[in-house]
Amino acid sequence: MFKKILIANRGEIACRIIRACREMGIVSLAVYSEADRAALHVQLADEADCIGPPAAAESYLNMDRIIETARRSGAEAIHPGYGFLAENPEFARRCESAGIVFIGPNSRALELVGDKVRARQTMEKSGIPIIPGMKHVSSDLDEYAAEARKIGYPVMIKASAGGGGKGMRIINSEDDLRPGLEAGRREAKAAFGDKAVYLEKYIEDPRHVEFQVLADNYGHIVHLFERECSIQRRHQKIVEETPSQALTPELRRKMGETAKKVLEVAGYNNAGTVEFLLDRDKTFYFLEVNARLQVEHPVTELTTGVDLVHQQIRVAAGEKLSLKQEDLAQRGHAVECRIYAEDPGRNFLPSSGKILFLREPRGPGVRHDGGIYSGWEVPIYYDPILAKLIVWAETRDSACARMGAALDDYVILGISTSIPFLKEVIAHPEFRAGNTNTGFIKKHFENWREKEGPDEWLTLALAAAALEDLSPSQKPAQAAGTAEAVASPWQLLGRWRIGEKA
Amino acid sequence: MEYEFTVNGVPETIAMERKGEKILVRRGDRTLEAEVRVISSNAFSLLVGGRSCLAIVARDKDKKYVWLSGRTCVIQSGKEDQRLTERGDDRALNGKSLVTAPMPGKVVKVNVAEGEAVRKNQTLAIVEAMKMENEIKSPLEGFVKKIHVSAGDLVDSEKPLLELEAKT
Repeated sequence: MFKKILIANRGEIACRIIRACREMGIVSLAVYSEADRAALHVQLADEADCIGPPAAAESYLNMDRIIETARRSGAEAIHPGYGFLAENPEFARRCESAGIVFIGPNSRALELVGDKVRARQTMEKSGIPIIPGMKHVSSDLDEYAAEARKIGYPVMIKASAGGGGKGMRIINSEDDLRPGLEAGRREAKAAFGDKAVYLEKYIEDPRHVEFQVLADNYGHIVHLFERECSIQRRHQKIVEETPSQALTPELRRKMGETAKKVLEVAGYNNAGTVEFLLDRDKTFYFLEVNARLQVEHPVTELTTGVDLVHQQIRVAAGEKLSLKQEDLAQRGHAVECRIYAEDPGRNFLPSSGKILFLREPRGPGVRHDGGIYSGWEVPIYYDPILAKLIVWAETRDSACARMGAALDDYVILGISTSIPFLKEVIAHPEFRAGNTNTGFIKKHFENWREKEGPDEWLTLALAAAALEDLSPSQKPAQAAGTAEAVASPWQLLGRWRIGEKA
Repeated sequence: MEYEFTVNGVPETIAMERKGEKILVRRGDRTLEAEVRVISSNAFSLLVGGRSCLAIVARDKDKKYVWLSGRTCVIQSGKEDQRLTERGDDRALNGKSLVTAPMPGKVVKVNVAEGEAVRKNQTLAIVEAMKMENEIKSPLEGFVKKIHVSAGDLVDSEKPLLELEAKT
């Protein structure tokens, strides 16, 4: 087993991996940009090293610097998390040639599946169903226009090098194609360091169902069932769950076997996710392989009892997979909500600023994977994900109820977050009925604004604001001696009397 | 004692008084009675007719972020800020508009030039924050009076990007 692992990421996922390292007795080495010196992952790790300026291209995407840091500090392996360098075959290759284990698939498999276009070619040849569209990329914008006409509008622009909604655009007409391609390429370049994009047929309102797969270095492959990730905004998942309401045991078995075959064809090892689109008549299409640990991996962990990060590290260290397909089962239901720094009332515009106060929800079956703390300033440079809230319960109904209660209990003050929006999604009758597809947010929540609270609620909120005015922490002269001893409100309120005028 | 606040641009006034173990909060013609326990300098447990509510307050300059029993709102101390009425659509109505950055980020592209005529909802500039590109749309039909930024600039929230003048 490794003695030290470098975690080439930040935020909640870096924290998640650092915790796994600690549990396994492995020293964790965090890397951080100059904007992240105070970030939580730096505090949690055993060791930490600065890798450059705030811009991701100069820090978290700086391959030479990261590999050099690993080498200098004696880390035998690098866990890339998700995003940044996670699906970059060149990075995997450079790790391999530097004698450092990349905790993820081998560079050849990564190259194949990471290149969405080549993956489409290869999978089609092996009889795996794919979405109609381009099986190549081009530098000639006119060629895209011709391809789009051939496919038929609406078409989807996708980044060849990655997912996560970055670079993705739905294009309804030729007029929008050129600006869409330009913006898509810029976003793809910024997110993945590769601007190549391709077009495929836009399938309207499908369900997004993906399968978690694990493969060791010796050809043993298991799948850990599906996750349904149909609730998306800006092509980015915000609510994920397992099991999916759309799958029958037969369809689940068929898709699971297809997912395993995809990895087999790709010569893949380590953890991966095979994404499918499931259309209205339950036909499924291979979408892509996410060659990394997924944001939404915890729902699988809670229902299968398998720790995916531990498994990733074990497999990367050359251990054989001890899991057998026939031993794996889904137990109960898990739901995840992604907590973003964004304003859902203003078209999900990212919000940055200082988290003035944080209280994470607790309780049976509640898991909080966070990368934040009270007093932390959310930087503008990176993806706005703050944390993930995951719940488990025996049934879908009770999991939804538990999620609703946990969101009610979740306090983040100082920046806008998706919490009030997520509450309404979880409470929506169509969501409760399991009627989810990727058009769900657009259909039910277009131009969403948070409803005003009851009149009495605002009165009490104003009273709380007034009470805080009287609080000793706001009165520096008193604070030093008395702040600790505050127990009765009347020490605070005592300085004014009944009927006294302001 | 009276307290003046502004919530979502609307002025709100409450009167809060102590009565034995309780506080009386009057807003408009309604009065609420609550028993208060101070949990910490910014957390208050309120019992309102036997109903338990927890309030948590965090302050940032003149803004207070209040969480109360599952909901959050931003409360500004004092009466409505003059700036609010000057902002946004009101100015568009006066025939001029200052287009500001909706969040801190980096200007990726300015799509228009000074003097150029613009349609309502036309993309004026693209600001990137947290790896997402956000199109800044024109709030009115008119022309571009002045441009304050260029591609590559880092901008703060509410910093002026450009000035428009409405078509007359």
